[in-house]
Amino acid sequence: MTRRTEILGLVARKLAPFVLLFGCYVISHGHVSPGGGFQGGAVLASGIILLVLGRGVAPTERLLPARWVAFAETCAFCLLLGLGMAGLLGGGRFLENTFPTTHPDEIPTVGFIFALNLVVGLKVGAGISLICLRLFKED
Amino acid sequence: MNLRETGTWFARGERARRGLALILVLCTGLVLLDGVTADTPPPQEAHDYYLRRGVEETGAINLVSAIYLGYRAFDTLGETIVFLVAIAGALYMVEEGSESRP
Repeated sequence: MTRRTEILGLVARKLAPFVLLFGCYVISHGHVSPGGGFQGGAVLASGIILLVLGRGVAPTERLLPARWVAFAETCAFCLLLGLGMAGLLGGGRFLENTFPTTHPDEIPTVGFIFALNLVVGLKVGAGISLICLRLFKED
Repeated sequence: MNLRETGTWFARGERARRGLALILVLCTGLVLLDGVTADTPPPQEAHDYYLRRGVEETGAINLVSAIYLGYRAFDTLGETIVFLVAIAGALYMVEEGSESRP
């Protein structure tokens, strides 16, 4: 971006933390309200795009280096595989629910879906923001 | 693509290869289209089972999340793999088109 107006920078700087918080909310409430991993990950990535619009590419690149974001994405994918393997090691099938199911809509019961939501949200958010950080950089 | 630079775009072997690839993709598309446009109704037993037993078996009130993260989590794993490969492919294309070659 060669020219950034004052209004764009100001609004993006003020909105970015709230959009990031909303993304975390959508990810973590995926088992109650509409949303979940994929949708919350996209909202997280749009929050990071707002950071780039508000501050510029170089400060955001200092805050989130591309190597860390790519490492976070692969870590989230390996965590997803690990959750599936935990189902195998716990004596059941691959990707089976390994938490006790007693009360609905509390963490012990819905913990597996909650954990999957977190992992998928981290993965999608890291992936989309990696693409956007790479495309915003102009040499 | 660097084929244009080296001038082998119109080589006979290259056009034959790309024509064969196009024909293969079209045939695969036709086969998949046949599976989509069949006249089978959605299974009513699965629909009722998800509505009746979804909340107490997975613990999630959001039935969509219960289905794609509880009952059919393997498809979500495949979706995640597709996403990873798509991001990697897109980043590779961006890197190939932007940096100057020595």
